[in-house]
Amino acid sequence: MTLADTLAQAKWTFVTRRVDPACVTATDTDFPAAQPGDLILAHVDRLGQHRRVQLPSGRPSLIFPGDAVVMACGSRYAPDQFEGLAEIDAEGADLLAGGGCIGRMVARNSRIKPATRLVPAARLLRADGRAVNLAQFALGPRPATQRPSVIGVLGTSMNSGKTLATAQLVLGLRRAGFRVGAIKATGTGAFGDFNEYSDSGAHYVGDFTDAGMVTTYLEPLDRIKTAIETLIAEAGHRGCDIVVMEVADGLLQRETAALIADPWFARLVSGLVFACGDAVAAMGGVAHLAQLGLVPDALTGLVSCSPMASSEAQAASGLPVLTKEDLADPAEATGFALRAGLGRKEAA
Amino acid sequence: MKDTLIETSPLTLRRVTACSSAGRLSARIIRPVRRADAPPMVVLHGISRNAGTLARLFAPEGERTGRTLIVPHFPADTWPDFQRPSKAARPDLALLALLDLVASEYPDIPGPVDIFGHSGGAQLAHRLAMLYPHRVTALHLAAAGWYCRPDETMRYPYGLAPGKDAFAAKLVRRNTAALRDFLHIPTCVYVGTEDVTRDDALRKTRALDTGQGPHRRARACSYVTALNAAAEAAGVPPRARLIEMPGCDHDVVCAITQNDLAARVLDARTALI
Repeated sequence: MTLADTLAQAKWTFVTRRVDPACVTATDTDFPAAQPGDLILAHVDRLGQHRRVQLPSGRPSLIFPGDAVVMACGSRYAPDQFEGLAEIDAEGADLLAGGGCIGRMVARNSRIKPATRLVPAARLLRADGRAVNLAQFALGPRPATQRPSVIGVLGTSMNSGKTLATAQLVLGLRRAGFRVGAIKATGTGAFGDFNEYSDSGAHYVGDFTDAGMVTTYLEPLDRIKTAIETLIAEAGHRGCDIVVMEVADGLLQRETAALIADPWFARLVSGLVFACGDAVAAMGGVAHLAQLGLVPDALTGLVSCSPMASSEAQAASGLPVLTKEDLADPAEATGFALRAGLGRKEAA
Repeated sequence: MKDTLIETSPLTLRRVTACSSAGRLSARIIRPVRRADAPPMVVLHGISRNAGTLARLFAPEGERTGRTLIVPHFPADTWPDFQRPSKAARPDLALLALLDLVASEYPDIPGPVDIFGHSGGAQLAHRLAMLYPHRVTALHLAAAGWYCRPDETMRYPYGLAPGKDAFAAKLVRRNTAALRDFLHIPTCVYVGTEDVTRDDALRKTRALDTGQGPHRRARACSYVTALNAAAEAAGVPPRARLIEMPGCDHDVVCAITQNDLAARVLDARTALI
């Protein structure tokens, strides 16, 4: 079987969606040299936590032992699942994320199964001998246009309600007549959030993968900031008035903590939503953000499911607690846009 | 219902129906042959739900001024409440969906709109503009029964002082967030000099009589004063005008046929902007 045949039959994962397979002309097995973002062809060895991978088409695909899969070498930070590093051991590697992140698992949440094991087969190379890397397919610079306003969405942790809040605010802003971009600023490449933003009718959806990274974990802060600027510029190029930007994980996660502590972040966002699970988390989060000079416009997330918890959080923080229905309401969303400086003439 | 006048004129008439989470809303879209570079005019009926009559009476003026008219109809069976966003109904959501549909089907009119409303339609018009000022270029309010004042002198829905009701608190927050942009909207408030009857359709409460006046004429005067005062307080140039129609009571047909209300509304743009 030729290389082309092998690659054609392999399952290319979601994070490779920008890659042109035709650029792959050779392979090697120099796995110790693999860098974050390099494409790796591997075979499924033993199924574990992930029994599916995510395809560029936006659907999951079951995987079976022996299947060939094209993924990107990367790290992962997911307290609910794994911590992993961008290292490829020729004897075996781990499927760190279903979006297509392969690396070495170093920690696992005790409530989930071990990672699905993979046998690396090849590192994919270009004609010039360089490894094929996601960064080579990243969005390019856009001519300077008016930058969209940005509403940031932060949270206490994974699964605090950030993605739902982002998607519902996108929906509300779209219903209010604005052209809206949705951006996942940090995290590990996967189509779940991406699809949820798209389903809410965002006029542009992008994540750090579009800026050339399979994950932002352990990436330099400047690279992440540049990626965010690139995605916002792309949203502006696509005609968006406003962008809702989710920052993954909790306030104390390495990259998130560095981003929000950088004065650049406070200048970037014109509005802020904070997702949390209860009133105590709300108080802690709001106090932490205040130390950084950041004041949310509203609380949301799991806390908003309980009227009693909402009352506690509102009383303790002085901030409104918005349900997903509130965020999707164009009357509520308009307030975010107007506070962000979008007047009457900017509406679609 | 037949639109006989429109059917014999060069205007084009089309009906569209928009769907939203608030329910369906249909409207007549009336396009002139010669089209001016000006926003469309949304024409909102009152509790008599006389959308056909308003379409017929506004159509010649739409043709004369080159303005596209959007005339929604809120049927009594599906929209028993349509004068304001409430727990029972969200006509604002239906109107936004309608405007989006019109924008998608008529790419030459994608932007914000002028809005005219009579009576209950005027109530809806100013409340829509309070929530979504970016969608409205000018307001024409004719003989509303009462208003939501842009200040905290009265509790919501008569003003923006928060009450105890949670839904009202949300609307106060949303209206307050958009207030400054709302105050930028040029607004004409029309009322007949004889619209002083405390008829069955007029909401009469002690708070309303005291806070806004005993009848529509007094309430219109009070509202314009409140709008301009709120604008000045916010550092926004006052842009509300009161236009009294001599000899006119609450009859919109009379206002149009004897006081040229439709012509005044469609000609007002140059003076307002």
